[in-house]
Amino acid sequence: MPNLQMTTLRTFTYDRPVMDKGYANQTLSIDISDAQISITPVTDKMKAVFVGGKGFDLWLLWHAVTGTTQWNDPENAVCIASGPMGGTPIYPGSGKSIVTTISPLTGSVIDSNVGGYFGPYLKFSGFDALQIKGKTSKDVVIFIDGIEEKIQIFETFGLPDASYELSAILTDYFAQGKPRNISVVSTGPGAKNTRMGCLNFTWYDLKRKRARYKQAGRGGIGSVFADKGIKAVVARWETVRVDTNNPADMDALKTVGRKHSKEIIKLDPQQNQMATIGTTHLVTIMNDFDLLPVNNFQYGQHPQAVNLGQEVFRPIFDAGYDGCWMGCTVACSHGVKDFIPLTGPLKGTRVFVDGPEYETIAGCGSNLGIFDPHAVIEMNFYCDTYGLDTISVGTSLAFAMECFEMGLINEKDTGGMNLFFGNRLSALEIVHQMARGEGFGQVVGQGVRRMKQIFANAYGADPKMLQDIGMEAKGLEFSEYMTKESLAQQGGYGLALKGPQHDEAWLIFLDMVHNFMPSFEQKAEALHWFPMFRTWFGLCGLCKLPWNDIIPEDNKQMPEPAKVMKHVQWYAEFFSAVTGKQTTADGIIRMSEAVYNFQRIFNLKMGFGKREHDNLPYRAMGPVKPVEYESRRERYDKQLVEQHQVDIIGKSTEEKIALLRQFREQLYEKLKDAVYKRRGWTADGIPTIETVKRLGIDFPDVLELLEAHGQDR
Amino acid sequence: MIRVNGNAHAWRAGMTVADLLEALEDTHHYAVVRINDRHISRPNFDKAVIPDESDVFLIPMVAGG
Repeated sequence: MPNLQMTTLRTFTYDRPVMDKGYANQTLSIDISDAQISITPVTDKMKAVFVGGKGFDLWLLWHAVTGTTQWNDPENAVCIASGPMGGTPIYPGSGKSIVTTISPLTGSVIDSNVGGYFGPYLKFSGFDALQIKGKTSKDVVIFIDGIEEKIQIFETFGLPDASYELSAILTDYFAQGKPRNISVVSTGPGAKNTRMGCLNFTWYDLKRKRARYKQAGRGGIGSVFADKGIKAVVARWETVRVDTNNPADMDALKTVGRKHSKEIIKLDPQQNQMATIGTTHLVTIMNDFDLLPVNNFQYGQHPQAVNLGQEVFRPIFDAGYDGCWMGCTVACSHGVKDFIPLTGPLKGTRVFVDGPEYETIAGCGSNLGIFDPHAVIEMNFYCDTYGLDTISVGTSLAFAMECFEMGLINEKDTGGMNLFFGNRLSALEIVHQMARGEGFGQVVGQGVRRMKQIFANAYGADPKMLQDIGMEAKGLEFSEYMTKESLAQQGGYGLALKGPQHDEAWLIFLDMVHNFMPSFEQKAEALHWFPMFRTWFGLCGLCKLPWNDIIPEDNKQMPEPAKVMKHVQWYAEFFSAVTGKQTTADGIIRMSEAVYNFQRIFNLKMGFGKREHDNLPYRAMGPVKPVEYESRRERYDKQLVEQHQVDIIGKSTEEKIALLRQFREQLYEKLKDAVYKRRGWTADGIPTIETVKRLGIDFPDVLELLEAHGQDR
Repeated sequence: MIRVNGNAHAWRAGMTVADLLEALEDTHHYAVVRINDRHISRPNFDKAVIPDESDVFLIPMVAGG
């Protein structure tokens, strides 16, 4: 790029530590307000309690912010970490990073996990976690060079805003002829102008000779990054080998890693073919089970859903190896080559699109009433390069479209734009407006929670209806599954620490399709075990897909098949082999419990984290409008009669909706009680003193906080 | 003849996924079956006809997301 200028603001040299059983044993802190750089040791206590990854992120963030810190305050930090097993090339799915910050959408802690090479490269460069604080009016790039053992902060001129182009340029700039040695974290113009910015993490595709992208999507982390004035953070590292982590037991690591890799190579082609079609197989399956969100989560099925299914995307994806981490045999990060957008600044040019995955297809497709795969690919492309989260964009736009269809807002409010469901051009134009910070796109970019306030206060819409159909909880937009018929998944979303994202507990199939948990106690147990086990992946630098998206042939004969215990045992062996700390399946859960409860208490510190904050919009629990009830009348009538002993003869649809709502809301409150009890929390959803002591997170400021909320030591 | 998880299995005209699962000595409660590259979900098991020479895979889907 001829006009690119990089002016060095700070150069900091350091001695890279020798990796010690998966840890670098130090963290890196950068304050971009004054370009200060410092290194802090990781203590044994930190490792024992927080393990790594999200645990380390949360510990750093806890000390960076106060209870009154806002997302755009300088003291808010963006924290990025991998984990002790992160960067293991022999074990599938071992290249994840996890990012935390105070979210512009929720006002509390958000975490988002992401593939790409950055987390492992950061760690091998000498840092288990990175914390970036401060704000600057300059455009800065941070360069962490683990090969030459130096960190540099540059003021930059002439870099583009678009994330794809920016990352490609910086990859070339820093690569010194070896682009695979580079991973770039960046965002785009949409992140600057909305609250739902994502971060793009790169991995270098040797075959296609280009930087590829994975997204830390949820909660507006990209918006914090952009608000700080950061254009990009770049890590440089050399060849990664099995021994780069310096594992405690290399032979055990090779044995367990090969077992899992070989099993995936054998079984994925027989099962979901994720190495060929990614997560697109879920579209038609969700549709068949009435779980695919359609028209702002009103319905779970649509006759045109097949147009967004794997049979359509299979020939569209560019065939080849698509692992976002080296050696991963799941390799699900597919993309579309030579796609030609019909709109926007790259209209008529050829671009490579990373994706789409299931969430984007459902969020930017079916939930908007759009069943054109090329429109979804174009939404995917522009969201990524603008630095926007496809889930929040999709769910927010779906809400705006339903409000438009209902007449709660009109063309005067949308700047003359017709926002009927299925309007592909309007959907794309909203995304472009988000990037430009213009028009109604700017309103949608505030997210569902703030749109509800704007629509009620400025446009006179009915606030009760807005609350019922606005699919957010804790301020975060729902990810793309229907939960009306699964109480356990309502809990999976409503009781999730950061808001309704499925990465804590995806229980729909287990609850609704397999009926594995008919009782409250079983649901509560599932809402304890699954969030804890899934949390552990984020502590260790791992992807969860190898755990339960490829299932061992003998799983059905094993105890607790829903947990895929053979793989859980392999993960315990993996942890033991890398860290030298022997663990078990139960040990994994104990590790996660400490971090999980700490994050719940972090929410409390930020003014949330109580029972009232676990509420859901009623659309997540049942039919809001008569049209929804009538579309599944047989199901709902049967439930009223058989489960709740209601005489429905002569009752209007509105009366039946009201009765069903009363029953379902009561069930959800009972579920809260059962889950809080199982997790060792008070009836108000706060971890008890006994629980924090048991988990070793009874730090003085934690105890003070709990005391301030009425608990006695 | 069809193959079910790689094993040969007798085929008859009009055979559906539901028919196949009933004939197999496998009590697992499958939610999804794949016929060649096409996924079939349980609500469609009794409607989905298996063509001769198909590769059928019984998918033990417990998770996702």
